[in-house]
Amino acid sequence: MSLIELSQLLYDSEAGTALRESIYAFPIVEGLHLIGLAFSFGLLMFIDLRLLGLFLPDAPVKDLLQPLRPWLLAGFTVTIVTGILLFVAAASKIILLDVFYYKLGFIALAGINALLFELKWGRSVSEWDNQQALPKAVKFAGFASLALWSLVIITGRLIPYLSYE
Amino acid sequence: MSTLETFKSIQSSDFSRFISGQDHLFGAAVQLVHIVGLILVLSPIVLVSLRLLGIGLRNQPISQLAQATSWLIWVGLGLLAVSGLLIFIPAATNYAPNTFFWNKFILLGLALLTHITLYRKVTQSETPNATTAKITGILSLTLWFSVAFAGRFIGFF
Repeated sequence: MSLIELSQLLYDSEAGTALRESIYAFPIVEGLHLIGLAFSFGLLMFIDLRLLGLFLPDAPVKDLLQPLRPWLLAGFTVTIVTGILLFVAAASKIILLDVFYYKLGFIALAGINALLFELKWGRSVSEWDNQQALPKAVKFAGFASLALWSLVIITGRLIPYLSYE
Repeated sequence: MSTLETFKSIQSSDFSRFISGQDHLFGAAVQLVHIVGLILVLSPIVLVSLRLLGIGLRNQPISQLAQATSWLIWVGLGLLAVSGLLIFIPAATNYAPNTFFWNKFILLGLALLTHITLYRKVTQSETPNATTAKITGILSLTLWFSVAFAGRFIGFF
């Protein structure tokens, strides 16, 4: 089965149709996608800015990373679940858009960046946190995260504007 | 002049015609600015409200967090206002009968009022009362999220 056939199947599914045709369900899911974004990207942004030395430069990175981690992971969960629902409701249209694949590509790169950061630096934060200047790789990870997630948001917001042409 | 007449004259103005004459990507760019503005407002609100509720950055003083993030909120509101006007003006009459449009601005008024009174007072204090801080956190989160929700609903009704 091709991707296009699969997307048509999702589009025609009960869940896809119900979501698309409901007066309230679709905008509620859109709203939740946005709230998830405020918790996920919104909180991650402050950690990235801290890694770059642009936010609370005197606060230990650990003091931001540890308390915010559960909130931003919960935010990402909400964003991803609602994102899948929004995709299902319009799957056969979205699957034809280049911008959708760019978005997925940027999500994959941002995810890899986050995973590598977490494995190499996040877990051993206490070891490098006290240094005067943060390791270059840490700063780079912060910059890459900000840039990639911004591109995810930009390409995501463009989806409806490019699909109704 | 009634609201609808005012909106009609806004929509038929030269400036409105100028915006309508732009490429459809102009509309997409304006929407991008609008969501960037929204993220710049909501992110500090989430960060500071979690702290006020005692479930966020516990090791950072509330006043320091609020001070370090306050400029983001005002830049965000500026971007939202400019992009919002550019979205509104060329389609003004469509918004006149939209309940969510009007509710959004009532909620925005309440959110801004809370922000410049309760939120400002609590976040300026070194040791705010824990209950007042919690109420402020919940109120601030609820109101700003409601503004965002109402805004998201406008386009569907």
